[in-house]
Amino acid sequence: MLPPIRQKVMRHLDIVGLIQPALHQQTHAPSPDMIDNAHFRAYTRSPHDVGGEPDIPITWEEKEEEVWEHNTFVTCEVLAWRGVWNAEERRRRQNVEVGQTQYLGLPYYGRWLLTAAKILVDKQFVTATELQDKVAEVRRRYE
Amino acid sequence: MSDDHDHEDEHLHPPAPMVDEVSEFEVLEIAVRELAIEKGLFTQEDHNQWTDYMHTLGPAPAARLVAKAWLDPEYKKLCVEDGVKASLDVNIDWVNTMPTKFGTPSDYCNLRVMEDTPTLKHVVVCTLCSCYPRPILGQSPEWYRTPNYRRRIVRWPRQVLAEFGLQLPEDVEIRVVDSNQKSRMIVLPVRPEGTEGWTEDQLAEIVTRDCLIGVAVPKPGITNNAKRPVRKAINPYKH
Amino acid sequence: MSKPHYDREHHVKKATGIGDPQCFKGEAPPAKFKVGDRVRIKDLPDLFYTRTQAYTRGAEATVSRLVYESPPAEDESWDNTENVEWFYSLVFDMTELWPDYHAAFAKDTVETEIPEHYLEAC
Repeated sequence: MLPPIRQKVMRHLDIVGLIQPALHQQTHAPSPDMIDNAHFRAYTRSPHDVGGEPDIPITWEEKEEEVWEHNTFVTCEVLAWRGVWNAEERRRRQNVEVGQTQYLGLPYYGRWLLTAAKILVDKQFVTATELQDKVAEVRRRYE
Repeated sequence: MSDDHDHEDEHLHPPAPMVDEVSEFEVLEIAVRELAIEKGLFTQEDHNQWTDYMHTLGPAPAARLVAKAWLDPEYKKLCVEDGVKASLDVNIDWVNTMPTKFGTPSDYCNLRVMEDTPTLKHVVVCTLCSCYPRPILGQSPEWYRTPNYRRRIVRWPRQVLAEFGLQLPEDVEIRVVDSNQKSRMIVLPVRPEGTEGWTEDQLAEIVTRDCLIGVAVPKPGITNNAKRPVRKAINPYKH
Repeated sequence: MSKPHYDREHHVKKATGIGDPQCFKGEAPPAKFKVGDRVRIKDLPDLFYTRTQAYTRGAEATVSRLVYESPPAEDESWDNTENVEWFYSLVFDMTELWPDYHAAFAKDTVETEIPEHYLEAC
């Protein structure tokens, strides 16, 4: 029996495998001759630019908002109000730099939230260690 | 204007699953907010002020703008020429209403009012994210944010509108407005028949959020968005 | 290595009481196109960030309105706001964008906004 943390790690690795986008070809750091210019563009595309992509009809839904979703929206706006980022930097980070897998895989405000955390570290307002400690400390409040 | 979240809808979607642990989203949200405050990037007061501002938002001012435009041709002209100036008449100042005094960061200050005619029907999307005129229309619905709506409406608008219950004859031009930069759009629909002699209040009631996005048209007697399933939150925010 | 300094005040100073994009009014060179002009969207390299949708590239459109002056999103996203240009609202025929769009609905259109440096006359 694996210790709980290792069980968690194994489950994480299983899920990562399951959420890889289907690319229909081997994609493990290919040699340059395998990437023509069309593939270069496809791999470097901005994942937010979805207009015109084929898709099938879905059920149109309304949705209740989670408390953390509301607070995330407000935090992102207030960070912009106080000049930590502008709206355009935010949209790039939330919608493009998260990459295709997170873009399609996480909730709308989940991307906003990760990006809000990242801007604090990227612009050196907090260190990565401070963020990690804070997350661990908040988690402990709920144990 | 009433909302979809009434109790009759509950059977349309099962309740959210009960969970006995705090989610990583909740933990990270608290961590980020507290760190930003500790580092002096903003204050708790800033955050509260913005929440208070959010509580004032909804589709009512946009509905009111449409009703006024239906009754006053000069005002309609102003709406189409300068949506920001026209918004002042429904008590929305795109620059100064919000705590920033330079507009909301997400929404900028360039409202465009897209006027339908009997042969032209607008419908709004943002294919790149989900830009939406929050200051005058409130928060966007979940379906508007989906990649699915954003993928399909710019290419198969007639099919998508049919899924919303709107079928238009071929002599009507559908114009999909892709809100991709700093402008934000609302649709000014055609005033429907059967509303002759109505007051501004009566007219505003039939201009629903869906009509202002363009996936529905106003009809006498219809004062709500179409009924749709409502996805429940685990820990819902009470507006 | 020392930490970079981010001027967190510059946008709020420029835009307070004025709004954005209004705060960039008058900073762009004269507009190259006018309402009614036919333009084609250049297929410029789109590394890292763009808000000129892939589906518009190489397509022709008609200018319906000069909407405002602003730095292009591609620059503003890194807080580079020196090069301001005109933004145009453009109307595309659906049949121009989508070869399989049914001829019965040939009147249908898309309207979207594109900055001047993506446009060429056609």
